[in-house]
Amino acid sequence: MKPFFAGSIWFAASVCLWGCAARNVVPVQMAQPGDEGLDCSALAHELAANEESAARFLHQDKKVEQANTARNVGSVIPGLGLLLVLSTDLSNEEQIKARALVDRDERLRFLVKRKQCTQ
Amino acid sequence: MKQGVKDMILNSKPSNSTMRNGARLAVIAVAAMQLAACATAAKPEAMIATPTASAQPFPQGLQHAMCVRTVTGGQKTNALWVSKVDDQSFQTALTASLGGAGLVAQGSACSFPVDVNLLGLSQPIAGFDMTVTSHVNYKVYDPAGQPLVLATIDAPYTADFSAAFVATERLRLANEGSIRTNITQFMDKLRQAEIKGSAPAVAAAGGN
Repeated sequence: MKPFFAGSIWFAASVCLWGCAARNVVPVQMAQPGDEGLDCSALAHELAANEESAARFLHQDKKVEQANTARNVGSVIPGLGLLLVLSTDLSNEEQIKARALVDRDERLRFLVKRKQCTQ
Repeated sequence: MKQGVKDMILNSKPSNSTMRNGARLAVIAVAAMQLAACATAAKPEAMIATPTASAQPFPQGLQHAMCVRTVTGGQKTNALWVSKVDDQSFQTALTASLGGAGLVAQGSACSFPVDVNLLGLSQPIAGFDMTVTSHVNYKVYDPAGQPLVLATIDAPYTADFSAAFVATERLRLANEGSIRTNITQFMDKLRQAEIKGSAPAVAAAGGN
């Protein structure tokens, strides 16, 4: 057990020194080139797809939050705790993508209204 | 481990195992210092974008005509966890940045309200060089309520080891730098805004 703890501490320290970079997150742009040219059908299609994706991301975000909480609770375990803390995901990828899609939909709804689309 | 420390203190010539234990202790101490210490929230004054003298001027219509109406999506900092940016701090920093450029409307007359959605901060959990990327949506409306600028800005900023020894401090500096860069990029977008005609000012729904 002792070598395991020592090893895990060494590993954690190494990770600390090398750095735990956050994932590169690319949210959807609120306004995009070509938006004005979208017809009612294209707008409705994109709105539906975005809503589905946003719901999926929000669901995934909750799972990440729960996993992070579990890792925090596990941080009290000697040796292993440090590893658990270092594996925490602070990239907020799912939250960022979900919120960006909600704002994108706001923009699309504005266009739907302006183009007087029936649905 | 305790024996190793004792040896280090008592013996003038440490043995190999003592040296190893000492090195281990040092690494653990450094790791602990990187992870420990209370997290503090980002400071508004450190997130203010300062205009450069050589920068392109802002459109005339935006001069003394803007206000920050709403800011959403920010998070309060939990001292036991990591540094975050809250709505109020961001609003203060953005208003001060716009004010520094002469864009903030006086009183309640605001022709071009700005709504901000802080999508989130992508942060590292540890590391020598900490890079934080802020993702922010800015919505600027004209007096008729039509969107004038809709910008999604992603701004990375790296705080290196020389910026602060303690990791929580370094992360806060990276947060502040990232938001400052984000606001600077937003102001660059404002410089390129095309305002059609001039319209009477309308009262702002929110404060600045």
